[in-house]
Amino acid sequence: MPVTDAELAALVHSHDIIDIGIRADDARRRRHGARTTFVRVADVPSDLAADVRVPPAAREVRIVGTPPSKAAALERIRAVVSAAGGAAVTGFSLADLEQLAAREQVTLRALLEDMRAAGLELVAEAPIDRLQNPRRSIEQVNIAGLALARLTVHRLESADLAALFHEVTALQEWVAVIRAFAPLPRTINRSVPTTGFDDVKRIALARLLVTNIPSIQVDWSLYGPKLAQVALTVGADDLDAVSAVDDLSEGRRRAPLEEIQRNIRAAGLDPVERDGRFEPIAR
Amino acid sequence: MIVQEISAKVRAGERLDAGDALVLYRSAPTGLLGRLADEVRARKHPGRVVTYIIDRNVNYTNVCVAQCNFCAFYRLVGSPEGYVLGFDELFEKIDETIAVGGVQVLLQGGHNPDLPLAWYEDLFRAVKARYPSFKLHALSPPEVIHLSRLSQLPVPQVLDRLIAAGLDSVPGGGAEILVDRVRRLLHCYGKASADEWLDVMRQAHRAGLRTTATMMYGTVETDEERLEHLLRLRALQDETGGFTAFITWSYQPDHTELAGSEATGVDYLRTLALSRIVLDNFDNLQASWVTQGGKVGQLSLAYGANDMGSVMIEENVVRAAGASYCMDEVEIVRNIEDAGFCAKRRNMHYDVLGDPVFRERDVPRMLELAVARDEGGTSLPQELLNYPARSRSGRRLRVIPN
Repeated sequence: MPVTDAELAALVHSHDIIDIGIRADDARRRRHGARTTFVRVADVPSDLAADVRVPPAAREVRIVGTPPSKAAALERIRAVVSAAGGAAVTGFSLADLEQLAAREQVTLRALLEDMRAAGLELVAEAPIDRLQNPRRSIEQVNIAGLALARLTVHRLESADLAALFHEVTALQEWVAVIRAFAPLPRTINRSVPTTGFDDVKRIALARLLVTNIPSIQVDWSLYGPKLAQVALTVGADDLDAVSAVDDLSEGRRRAPLEEIQRNIRAAGLDPVERDGRFEPIAR
Repeated sequence: MIVQEISAKVRAGERLDAGDALVLYRSAPTGLLGRLADEVRARKHPGRVVTYIIDRNVNYTNVCVAQCNFCAFYRLVGSPEGYVLGFDELFEKIDETIAVGGVQVLLQGGHNPDLPLAWYEDLFRAVKARYPSFKLHALSPPEVIHLSRLSQLPVPQVLDRLIAAGLDSVPGGGAEILVDRVRRLLHCYGKASADEWLDVMRQAHRAGLRTTATMMYGTVETDEERLEHLLRLRALQDETGGFTAFITWSYQPDHTELAGSEATGVDYLRTLALSRIVLDNFDNLQASWVTQGGKVGQLSLAYGANDMGSVMIEENVVRAAGASYCMDEVEIVRNIEDAGFCAKRRNMHYDVLGDPVFRERDVPRMLELAVARDEGGTSLPQELLNYPARSRSGRRLRVIPN
């Protein structure tokens, strides 16, 4: 059931996160049931000097960082593709690619097409508050034959949430290719971090307001198991950035795969591993 | 009975029995559990005030003979990493605590066979002589039992002597799960059985002290045993009314002999909410931000907690097991207010002392918790030479070199 403007105003200013959370959980269960997806990701630096290490458990290999040049970006993509063992290769922030295209004096579309030809499958993220032209740039991703892994929020700590989520909804109405929206900011102010109430409310409102994007996503490694797990009970249905390094130094029960599945089940939900292409992994 | 009917009982203010509580814990959606707990909190604390205390957790020794398998803090007698704080070190910590507006220390430590009852009495007297209004919230029930065994005096007599020396209140540590099956598996039955823990609290309440109660969950206990713990606390509170607050936290597994994994954040919120609903005769429930982090700590205020616990300044025990969260007064107040509550400072009795100190005067920011001693600091305090040691290594250390 759509949220009216009056309800929206009340929700945005409410401290009753239990009520907001229950409503968002209802909306999430209507759409996804108890199904909760997660993806194990191996990050690879965009820096050419860094080693390319891809753990066998990686279902997505993500090139992170700002590429210094188009040539360096393409070389890096090729190296990562050859090491990825068939896992989806994603990479870069679309905002960085806008700037790179401008610096290289090529169109964004041409840059993206070259990246696709080099083996990139998805652009890792599109930070809505950093993009110069969100509609056009996301369309270029699509036209170039790439997909967008997630729409993100770079900072926007004190933004008007209602306005932000209306903007996201309008963007999706236009581009219609966004699979996942991660509403928690990627850049955290260490001296004044967001609070638990802030995060829960942001997740829940995203679920209630952004009804045309299938998945509301939380970054497991950035936000930590406790907050990410709570987020699953207030509207989130997908966990990004689970470590692909199956480090068993703490014992099998604390390996990332066991931890994530245990946390999802402890939230009363059903874990489903997916790959970087958003396809469930058959077991 | 189905969840809806049990929810109606909670809303009507009726007491839940074990069966009702178990159904609720296992079957109610997390949102509903939170909603019910929040309603109970609001009935008890309608003014939307959330309190906190400025104090310091000081662990006077890490030497311990108990050897609980869930503890990463203790060192065996004779360990080169064992320490005992000197009186002067403690005074320094109290000075630092007072400087940031603190009103008490929470003093707990290992069961060190080389610290006789007289050492505690002298320490408490020295603190009270120097800081007459400063409060000593000290010695959890297992420590009192340890002193009783060491001094061969009954618990009431030990408590009387400690009270005479300056003890103000007793912290609820060492409760873990008050079920002997669990305590045996955790190797903590020897330090105090469930009955012994409860009886120390009973004696403390009879002696006029107020105490807190705790529960460390997430080791080997069943849901039924968590509930049994809560019901035993509720029964003692019916009898004495001496508990001021209840604090629950999850077992922290890092570097412990028991190992395993930590209970999840949702499990914490559900357990907290259940505690608020079941412990209908406890006024105050604290959020355990020190084990759950600031975010889930703040969310606790929506799941039944009405208190953000302690600014703490120093913490050693859960840090040893992997938790290293820190919130100073500024951060605690920001979290309380961001959740829509009014932040007030309190003492151990939950009397409101006033508004945040940092709004009245400049207080240095504290971005990480202090530790009992810098790493590797194991020097022997001079005053220890005045007390007899029971262990061989303790006696050896106390021989004054020529």
